[in-house]
Amino acid sequence: MAGDLIVDSEIRVWVFLPIVIITFLVGIVRHYVSMLLASQKKIETQQLKDSQMILRSRILRENARYIPKNAFLIRRQAFNKEEDGYLTQKRPAVTQNMMTDPSMMTDMVKGNLTNVLPMIIIGGWINWMFSGFITTKVPFPLTLRFKSMLQRGIELSHLDASWVSSASWYFLNVFGLRSIYTLVLGENNAADQSRQMQDQMSGAAMAMPQDPKIAFKAEWEALEIVDHQWALADVDNKLFGEEKVKTD
Amino acid sequence: MSSNALYKFILTLGFLSLFHAAYSAAQHRSYLRLNELDFTRLPTDIFIQALISLFVIIYGVLHVVGDFKEIKASADLENKSWETFRNVQAFYTFCHRGQSFST
Amino acid sequence: MSAKSKQDAIAYSEGAIRNNLSIVEYCRTSMAALSGCTAGLLGLTSLHGAFFYIFALISLWLMILFKAGFSNWDKYFISRKALLTNGFFGQLFTYILCWTFIYGMVHVY
Repeated sequence: MAGDLIVDSEIRVWVFLPIVIITFLVGIVRHYVSMLLASQKKIETQQLKDSQMILRSRILRENARYIPKNAFLIRRQAFNKEEDGYLTQKRPAVTQNMMTDPSMMTDMVKGNLTNVLPMIIIGGWINWMFSGFITTKVPFPLTLRFKSMLQRGIELSHLDASWVSSASWYFLNVFGLRSIYTLVLGENNAADQSRQMQDQMSGAAMAMPQDPKIAFKAEWEALEIVDHQWALADVDNKLFGEEKVKTD
Repeated sequence: MSSNALYKFILTLGFLSLFHAAYSAAQHRSYLRLNELDFTRLPTDIFIQALISLFVIIYGVLHVVGDFKEIKASADLENKSWETFRNVQAFYTFCHRGQSFST
Repeated sequence: MSAKSKQDAIAYSEGAIRNNLSIVEYCRTSMAALSGCTAGLLGLTSLHGAFFYIFALISLWLMILFKAGFSNWDKYFISRKALLTNGFFGQLFTYILCWTFIYGMVHVY
């Protein structure tokens, strides 16, 4: 099987193993560096207050039929009063753009710093340092199509496709060690790039609306058009069954 | 706690055994190469040792990683008292005399 | 029992489900890595390695069921079949990497 090509066992010690170890350790270091650089997202009190108020108004809207009409009107008044209701108050319009916000910019720079930069630097360094070695052989036959993928840096047309060059071995490691990081560092680690990307996406979706004015307007409208119907008006009859209950 | 230590010991044992098997296999390969024999199959003892240590490790991992929780929602609620349900955030009051202590 | 449980909807606790799934995921990742190492150690090539992966997955499945208890596994998992088939290909790359790594270490040089 391996008889067609005998590889010097020094390569195992000085090329094959170091690449695995370097890739692994770089992933670990990247995890801790990005943990150091990560800035805690600060939520302003006003923003939190607004979103809680909107939540409260929504609860009022949905459960309006369980309180008497009077109580509902009072509550609605508190939100929607012309002069000093919570939803009708004037707010300075927030015109924040993603690009102009400096904190957003630094976040992006940090993300690039911890993800892309090491990948390029370490990849380039490994390419330069360990270039041109045959490191290993995959234990399954591959078609010629994989040759360009697995034998980067070696141009031998007669070599079997299942041999792997050092540069390609590095890339195999970068992609394959991902789940090992999950094992070692726990879930949601920063070494895993794809997961981090996902986090950013969901984080953006979960963020509070930048402009409270629009949300307030929508909530105000929805609250205005609620038609109050008390669900418990006939509750005494229901409780006592068909028996006629005298009410005033 | 002591049972956890036991499983960690089992885990370590399994790893050592697997490593030993790997080393023996490498030795076997170099022996074959020196004597210019062809590789047909691993010696049976290395084969069995590798398989057994794999299962020992997995057994250890399964127990070290933690216990399963019951997924029925009611199982979680059984140990809770009625008091817990009265603890509703919407009814918290912060506007009381305790305020003067905090400032 | 099953007819009754079909009638009334069962409420599941989401935290517990997630906890169980993360445990299973952990076991599966370590199983992929370790069985990859073992496959490389044994010097399995081509199709034998794929069969070994399937064998490892099934034995892991049996061991998880054994830990949960064969008779009352439904206390911990919603579906027994999903436990086997989920993430079948997700861990394949880990398996292949470990397989290649140990195979290279032991058998190539």
